[in-house]
Amino acid sequence: MEVTFVRTSDALIVGPAGRVDEATWKEFDSELATAVLQTSRDGLETLIVDLSRIDYMSSRGLRALTVAKHQAQAVDVTIRLASPNDVMREILAISRYDRLFAIDDRVPAGRGAAS
Amino acid sequence: MPIAANAGQVRSKIVNALMAAGGRSFANAQDANRFIDEELYFSAGATYGGATSCVEIDCGEEAYFVCDMGSGLLELGRDATRRCRYGRPKRYNFFLSHLHWDHIMGFPTFLPAFDPDSEIVIHSCHEDAEQALRRQQEDTFFPASFDSSAASIRFVILRPGEELEVDGLQVRTIRQHHPHESFGYRFTDRTGRSVVYSTDSEHNIDDMDKEVAFVGFFQNSDLVICDTMYSLAETSSTKEHWGHSSNVVAIDLCHQAGAKRLALFHHDPLHDDDVIQRMHDDSIRYEKLTRDGQPLEVLCAYDGLEVTI
Repeated sequence: MEVTFVRTSDALIVGPAGRVDEATWKEFDSELATAVLQTSRDGLETLIVDLSRIDYMSSRGLRALTVAKHQAQAVDVTIRLASPNDVMREILAISRYDRLFAIDDRVPAGRGAAS
Repeated sequence: MPIAANAGQVRSKIVNALMAAGGRSFANAQDANRFIDEELYFSAGATYGGATSCVEIDCGEEAYFVCDMGSGLLELGRDATRRCRYGRPKRYNFFLSHLHWDHIMGFPTFLPAFDPDSEIVIHSCHEDAEQALRRQQEDTFFPASFDSSAASIRFVILRPGEELEVDGLQVRTIRQHHPHESFGYRFTDRTGRSVVYSTDSEHNIDDMDKEVAFVGFFQNSDLVICDTMYSLAETSSTKEHWGHSSNVVAIDLCHQAGAKRLALFHHDPLHDDDVIQRMHDDSIRYEKLTRDGQPLEVLCAYDGLEVTI
């Protein structure tokens, strides 16, 4: 799974790409865990998951988001989701994950790749 | 808990249906039924009901096969008594998912249990099944004791993972995550048709690798009756470890398993018909959005639903 990490002044933006399904959820889970740690180490309070390049996510991907949320809460980091496509927006609504996470329409501009 | 639509809810459905009819008249009952089927949402023209878990598997064998003894068993007992009057043998096989009250509460009102000619075999993976059934008929809870049943009643304790044949039906079991544990059943008849009954089964976020076993258990089944009590968000937050699953996980598992039909089952008693209908509509949409192979037909269980395979 291709993943980008971008810094803004007050957040880390993790940007996975492709489908998150039974074949890829573990990698997605691992990248989110890395991103949570990186956010905390950098002294940032917010991790933004840029969904703009995610085609689709099954329940395992969604639940990986919950696992990451638990990890983030333990280190005082808040996870926000941003820029879901129409399919992802529907999936977030059907699963009621739009009630668990704040969802932003746009990803804030970054300062270049952090890793 | 068993629930039933109250007078106000029934009246609201009638008012809405009359409004939808817009002053039309119907020549006969058939025309009126066509209007209900074709122009009203299910939740507007009917109700999902509110009986607790009880499912009959009728595969053409003489014996009865019944999953769980929820409050729906009262109606099944009445109907079975009628069928036995036409000569069907009075042999009943029960398969218990677990012993929580909503899954055994129908047995004290099961009419065939009062018939001395009935033979009842209760299969369970819980060694304390008999104790639980006896306890709910102690005089603290119910006026008639378990021993006052006239029928012959026998308990068979199954080993999880065991495969056995019961009166012509192949039966497999799987251990599920639920308080005091629960067990799913897969039934396969002589012609190869298979039905999975998997209720009160949570698929935990901290051990998703275990789902591989369920994909295998559901593999190519004709119908999966699956616990979908909560939304995925609820099972990941406020209802985590309550022992139930979601429509989204059920669809993912059925997709992976190549199952043909899914029946959304064990609705949240706090949800009214409109909420359940919306959950069904959402589930059909999610199935379509995430489909990567053969279509999965998504049904929504209601009291009295019959599915022909």
